[in-house]
Amino acid sequence: MKDDLKERIVELFRQKSKGEKHFFYIRDVVKWLPDEDRRMVQDAVKELLDEEILKYWSTGSTTYLVLAEHYPKE
Amino acid sequence: MANNSETPLLDQLEEGRWPSFVKEIKQAAQKKPMAEDLLRQLELSYKEKIGHWKHGGIVGVKGYGGGVIGRYSDRPDLFPNVQAFHTLRVNHPTGWFYKTDALRTLCDIWDKHGSGLTNLHGSTGDAILLGTTTEHLQPCFDDLSNAGFDLGGSGSALRTPSACVGPGRCEWACIDSLDICNSLTLEFQDEIHRPMFPYKFKIKISACANDCVAAIARADLTVIGTWKGNIRIDQKEVAAYADSGLDIQKEVCNLCPTHCMTWNGKELKIYDEDCTRCMHCINLMPKALRQGEEKGATILIGAKAPIVEGALLSWVIVPFMKMEPPYEELKDLIIKIQDWWSENARSRERLGELIKRMSMRKFLRAVGLPPVPQMIKAPRTNPYVFFWPEEINRPEGKEEK
Repeated sequence: MKDDLKERIVELFRQKSKGEKHFFYIRDVVKWLPDEDRRMVQDAVKELLDEEILKYWSTGSTTYLVLAEHYPKE
Repeated sequence: MANNSETPLLDQLEEGRWPSFVKEIKQAAQKKPMAEDLLRQLELSYKEKIGHWKHGGIVGVKGYGGGVIGRYSDRPDLFPNVQAFHTLRVNHPTGWFYKTDALRTLCDIWDKHGSGLTNLHGSTGDAILLGTTTEHLQPCFDDLSNAGFDLGGSGSALRTPSACVGPGRCEWACIDSLDICNSLTLEFQDEIHRPMFPYKFKIKISACANDCVAAIARADLTVIGTWKGNIRIDQKEVAAYADSGLDIQKEVCNLCPTHCMTWNGKELKIYDEDCTRCMHCINLMPKALRQGEEKGATILIGAKAPIVEGALLSWVIVPFMKMEPPYEELKDLIIKIQDWWSENARSRERLGELIKRMSMRKFLRAVGLPPVPQMIKAPRTNPYVFFWPEEINRPEGKEEK
């Protein structure tokens, strides 16, 4: 179940990242999956972060999520 | 090292009798080229009246989504030693109690991995370590971790909880603010290190209404120590204060916010039913007045500084809660509050702003708290005390406005 959810999340990230916008709030991800429990989505995102498929990007006050391939280089 | 001719504008900030951060950075620059470039870049900013930092990016070390704030120079061609100048937030010991060897350890680690510049303590409460490179982040964290330190919170996460010194030093502490802070920090580790909130969330604990950590103005969840029952009065000591020159009528009674006390020159009377437990009288006459015997905390909600919207002060939601380890009642309430906020908040919307947008009535129902008179800021202005539409028997055809 979780693997399926993770795949859907990654697929959604790929779709949504096709344009210029690559950074998303966790709230965006939860909204993309209105039928899923918020905590399940958050847990799946945490696993994707552990696997470094997704990465955090932060301004210091706000944290965003981004596909690793779109993570800006220093 | 930077000299006067290189930084004439900054040099002016060394004048006067007060401490100067320029002087301190110059001292660091004798050992660290990073500090030297920091000065030179700052001089350029003063000259051009524009900042030269790029914020954002890297967030932490392996397994963490916070604790590091990425910072880069936009003029690495001129200042290569501050091309990356990241900040680390280190979770402070509760109540800021250190031994000097802990401080020396912290400084030794920072001399090894960073610029040597620190900010003890930042307004978050953390020990702020200013300026290191990306390559040094993980080794620095490993050394900090081996020395018993952990990173604090940053980004859309629970920020490092902070508390006043409480019973560690203060006779007025109504609760063990240190233990509560430590317990909450350990309980909510995942929320601190893995940002999953709509925005920042701050918890601050003051052990009495003097509120030495300014929790009421800064924290999304504020815990302030208070008491039940009557203020204990030692009339002999009251008389001694009067004899020593304290004008009790003017300084104590007249400045009491609820005017709940009288002084006839011999005896002080307190009408405790009108007392708001502000601590004013106890602060002025600590030998004569002591708090009531039953201690606990008031829980308040929703303070913030002005960013997206204007500043908000905290609002009482639980007038009195017993505070005994392991603080399950408080922790359960915090989880319910954070759940409701996570479900309903817009991105970058603080809890206080969400309550303002959706109403206190909905918030109270969601977290299972009854409206009580202590929540009222001003009579007839608190819409959450109104009945729910389904509780009102309206004549047919009349709908709620």
